[in-house]
Parts: sequence; structure tokens; C-alpha cells
Amino acid sequence: MFRSVYAIAMKEYKHILRDPFTLAVTLALPMIFVLFFGFIIDLDYKHIPLNFQDNDKSKFSRMFLREFSSSGYFNLKPFQGSLFTDNLVESGNSGGMLIINHNFEKNIKEGKQAQAQLLMDGSDNARAAIMLAYSQGIALAASQNFAKLSGGEGNFAQPVRSRFLFNPELNSRWFIVPGLNTIIIGFLAIILTAVTVAKEWENGSMELLLSTPVSPAEIVVGKLLPYFVMTFFDVMLVFVMAVLVFRIPFEGSFMLYLIACWLYITGALALGLLISVATRAQQAAIQFAFALGLLPSFIFSGFIFPIENMPAFFRWLTVIFPQRWFLQISRSLFLSGGGALFIPFVCLSLFAVIMIFAAVKNFKTDVEP
Amino acid sequence: MNTEENIIEVKNLTVAFGSFKAVDDISFSVKRGEIFGFLGANGAGKTTTIRTICGILNPTSGKVSVNGKDVSASTAVLKPRIGYMSQKFTLYPDLSIKENMAFAGSLYNMDFAAIKKRSLELFKFIDLKESFSGPVKNLPGGIKQMVALCATLLHDPDLIFLDEPTAGVSPKTRSDFWRLIRALAAKGKTIFVTTHYMDEAEYCARIVLMERGRIVAFDSPQGLKNHFFPRGVTRIIFKKPFQLRVKEETEKAGIALCAPFGADLRAEVTDEKAFETYAERNKEIFDYKKVEASLEDVFLKAVKG
Repeated sequence: MFRSVYAIAMKEYKHILRDPFTLAVTLALPMIFVLFFGFIIDLDYKHIPLNFQDNDKSKFSRMFLREFSSSGYFNLKPFQGSLFTDNLVESGNSGGMLIINHNFEKNIKEGKQAQAQLLMDGSDNARAAIMLAYSQGIALAASQNFAKLSGGEGNFAQPVRSRFLFNPELNSRWFIVPGLNTIIIGFLAIILTAVTVAKEWENGSMELLLSTPVSPAEIVVGKLLPYFVMTFFDVMLVFVMAVLVFRIPFEGSFMLYLIACWLYITGALALGLLISVATRAQQAAIQFAFALGLLPSFIFSGFIFPIENMPAFFRWLTVIFPQRWFLQISRSLFLSGGGALFIPFVCLSLFAVIMIFAAVKNFKTDVEP
Repeated sequence: MNTEENIIEVKNLTVAFGSFKAVDDISFSVKRGEIFGFLGANGAGKTTTIRTICGILNPTSGKVSVNGKDVSASTAVLKPRIGYMSQKFTLYPDLSIKENMAFAGSLYNMDFAAIKKRSLELFKFIDLKESFSGPVKNLPGGIKQMVALCATLLHDPDLIFLDEPTAGVSPKTRSDFWRLIRALAAKGKTIFVTTHYMDEAEYCARIVLMERGRIVAFDSPQGLKNHFFPRGVTRIIFKKPFQLRVKEETEKAGIALCAPFGADLRAEVTDEKAFETYAERNKEIFDYKKVEASLEDVFLKAVKG
């Protein structure tokens, strides 16, 4: 039993070692992902062009504007003339318009509500949300300064008090890098398995394997073992880079993280196996692996598009993808240290069990086409 | 039938893929320790039959038993005793000879010492030097087939299936192959072999001829020859270029079946008298002599008929 599994695993290991392509993909892909998403793509918005109209032209209003420009998030440009904000924003040159009302300083000094208005280009809602968050932070800082200057209590308009708890700088790397393993497992584990088993069918060696006393379970376990190890190695590599290179705090339980990885890898390998059993051809297997592995990893996991912003149908659709649940676990464990992870773990386990069941059920022991 | 004597029993076996019947109601048996030949054109159903007997393809109907046990019900007991060399795949091209042998042996739960000992025995028998340590894909086709045969024989199976083992190998390797196969049969192993080469079929104790999923003939080589050519074959040797106009002229000349053989013809004479008259009239053009029928003659006639 163990001898056959070991023999198959060793054979697979040698296949991998001697196939430069597989080796390169497994080793280089995580590196490329980390470089690409960690360094090159920066989802943080900085130096957003912002027009302003200072109708008060007072010391306080200038202070308020300075607070905006010195934050580094906005590039302020004065706007003269009447309010054609729509046109201004539509031209695409401006992220929005900041208008300071008359009596801004007077109202603050008198302890009344002072008013400034921020009009934003909502067509890019991700940017608008970030601008709002930034401006709230800036307004808070400004109102503290005004309070000091006016000697009294600052009563600057504070419609929403929000504070970002786990990523105070809203640093997108902190958000992206813990999610990278979602994609690496979701893609690598699925495609590698799909191809390797499909290959045995395609070149006829599966026929030979099945004619020996080796059981299908031994074939499957033996073949998947090296890929499990390899994917896990990649995951640990990204983990180490996240913590050491990007200095992302890992707040949660490492053991929980490992369990999540193992569950997710197992589910992904089983899905890859199911694909290869169903297609029995490498080309088709690759296509399925892209559609069921890579695409959902990006689109339905919440990696790029926040699940909360999706239409209801797609929001519910994400439930069936393990990527979504792993990403949730990964981000929570990295940034907040835990939280309500019971449901994600249950869903991840459920996916793995269903996939194993489906793959085993469909794994035929005969060579009928 | 005596199951002691027959290692394989196939009864009314049909294997259908959708509406296509790859094997259509065939029955035969293989005796323990014989070299059993399976002949037929590509797509005749040879490989399908072997797969069914090996237990990796389920019959649509009919019964297949090995050692008196129904194959589909007892694969676990039968598989360790079977060696199967498939036509499509033999060795992993990126692994070395040693690695391929080690892998093949491990699948039958052999330990490395046993694998090594047995490999060396087999290699010695076929004069193969195991010194080559590169990937198998760099080996010449003939040697690759030889190594594949050794890998099939590694676990010392009682029943050996060889699906076109000599396709595309040199005559020298083919003769080495058959030397090994006959030595195995002499040791009591049962060999089930498919081939395209009629000279190889002569080595078989008995032969099944298949055509589009059906058995068209089943006998020993001599039996087949006697059955299909009770009067033997007449070889017509031309002295100068000549053409027999098919049909009318051959019929008039008392010849039923003609097949070119080099520059000559091999013919079955149906009407001795008519042929003698015809030959006498054309003695400037051709000579003739009676020869023994070959399996090639049998094959051509059986498949045509």
C-alpha cells in the first residue's frame, strides 16, 4: 500500500524535476505574484486632483486647505467662477470639488457648525470611498487644530466618525498580500493536478497503472502528494514574504492558518482531479482549470472586487467558491487576528469533502472512453 | 470445458461503445502455458478484448474468466498475476531505465533488492546493458520495447499480455523478443500476443483471427492452413512480364485466389485440370510449383471471405 503510493509520488516528483516548465511555474509564479501585487500595483490613491473654492478666504479656511494638501492624498487647485462642478468632474481632470462656505471661520469661533462641502466623482466608487475616508481623517485633524486656536471646543462638521481599525493607513498591500495565497492555491493546485492526471490518461499510462494491483485511491494519493507539498511550499513562501518583506503583521493563530491552507489545498487538488477525470485531455483540463481556478480567484473571492459591493446574485454565488472563504480567513488572521471564522472554516471543509467525493466517484477504474 | 487446462475462458463477449460494437459476441479459450496469437487488422477489436480480460474494461455482455474466476468480480486476486504490455504506452519517457523498472516493480509491491535482481536476470537474457542512465526517450525504439517487456515481466506474472510488442522494431530485436517469449512459454507462462507479423504468428500454438469485432478463424497455424487451403497454394513464377486479367481469365484458368508475392503470384487452384491446361498453354510465360500455405495466405483469404 505505502510502497505503491510512495513509488507513484516519487515518480511524480521526478516528472516535476525533469519538466522545466512545471518547475518554473511552481517556483516563479508566487514570486511574480508577490512582486506584481506587492510592489507594482498600488491600489492606494495619492495625489488625487481636487479643485477648491474658498468662499471664506479666512485664516481658518486656509488652514483647512493646507491640512488637505499637506496630507499628500490631494493635489489642490483653485477653481474660479461659478459652480459648474459637473463639467469639471466630467472632464476627468478632477477627482472632485471642495467648497468652503462663507463664515467658515466665524462659525467656528462662535462655536457654531462650520460648513465645508466635498463633491466627489462617484463614477469610480472605490476612489470616492477612499477620498471620503481621507477627508474625514483630515477634517478630524483640522477640527482639533481649530479647537486649540479658538480656545474653545471645535465644532467642525463631523457627519461621520469612522476609524479604520485594522489597517489604519488603509495600506492596500496589507490587504492584497495576505490574499495572494488565495490565487496561488486556487490556480496552481487546480491546474497542476488537472494536467498531471489528464496526462496519464492521454498518453495511455493510466491504462497500464489500472492493470496493476494498485488501487485508484493509491494512484490519486500518490500523484497528488507532491503537488500538495509544492503548493504548500509556495504558500509558506508567500507567507514569509508577507511578514518579513512587507512587514504585514500576522495577528492570528498560525495553526489556524495552516489548517485553512491544508483544507483549501486539498479542496483545490480534488477539484483539479475532478477536472482531469472528466476531461482526460490536457488541453481541456487547462481550460477548465482557468475557468474554475484562476477566474473565481480574482473575481469571486473578494480579492479585487469587494463582495459587499456585488449584486445580490453574485454575492451569493461567491459562497460556492472556496477562494472566498480562504481569503476571508487569511485576511482576518493577518490583520485582525481572528474573529468569526467558524462559517468560513465549515465552508472550506465542506468544499474539500464534496470535491473529494465527486472526484472519487467519477474516477473510473476502467478505460472505457 | 476443463478450467484446469484453460487459463482464459471468453464466452459470448460483447463490448459496445454506444452503438458501435468493438467486440461482437466472441468466444474462445486459452490453454495454460501456450503462446496464443491474436491477429487482425487495426480496429478489429484485439486491444479491446485484451483490456476486458485484464479487467480494465467492463464487458457489455458475456463472460470472461481467468483461472476459473470471473474477471470483473475478482480483479484484486487476478491483477498481481497478470502482466500487460500495452500498445500505446510502455515506459515513462523522462525516467531512466532503472527508474522505470523500479516504478513498475513497486506497483507490484516488490522491494528494491528484488527488482534489481530480477531486472538484471531479464536484461542478461536479452543481452541488454543497463549502463544507459539517461531518460528512456533517448533510447532506440527497439531497446525501449525490450525494456518495456522486461518491466512487464518483472513481477513474474503467469499470464502475459503483449499488445503488438514488436511493432516498429528491427528484425534482430524481433527475434530476441521471440526467443524470450518462447523461453517463458517453456517455463509454463501463458502468453497472449497480438501482432501484425505473420511470421511471428507461426510461433503461436493457436491463433484467433479477428475481423471487425468478430472471430473469423480460430485454430493452430497448421489447422488454419489446412482449413483454408486444403490443396495448398500454387506459386506462379513468371518468366516474362505478364498480367492475368482478373476474374474471367483466372476463373477460366481454375484459380480462385491470387495474391502478389514479390514478382510472383500465390494462387489457390480450384480446378486442377483447367489450370494444368492453362499452364501448359502458357509455359513460356510462367512456371508453377506447389507450396505450403502461409499464414499470410490464410489471413488474406479469411479476411476477404
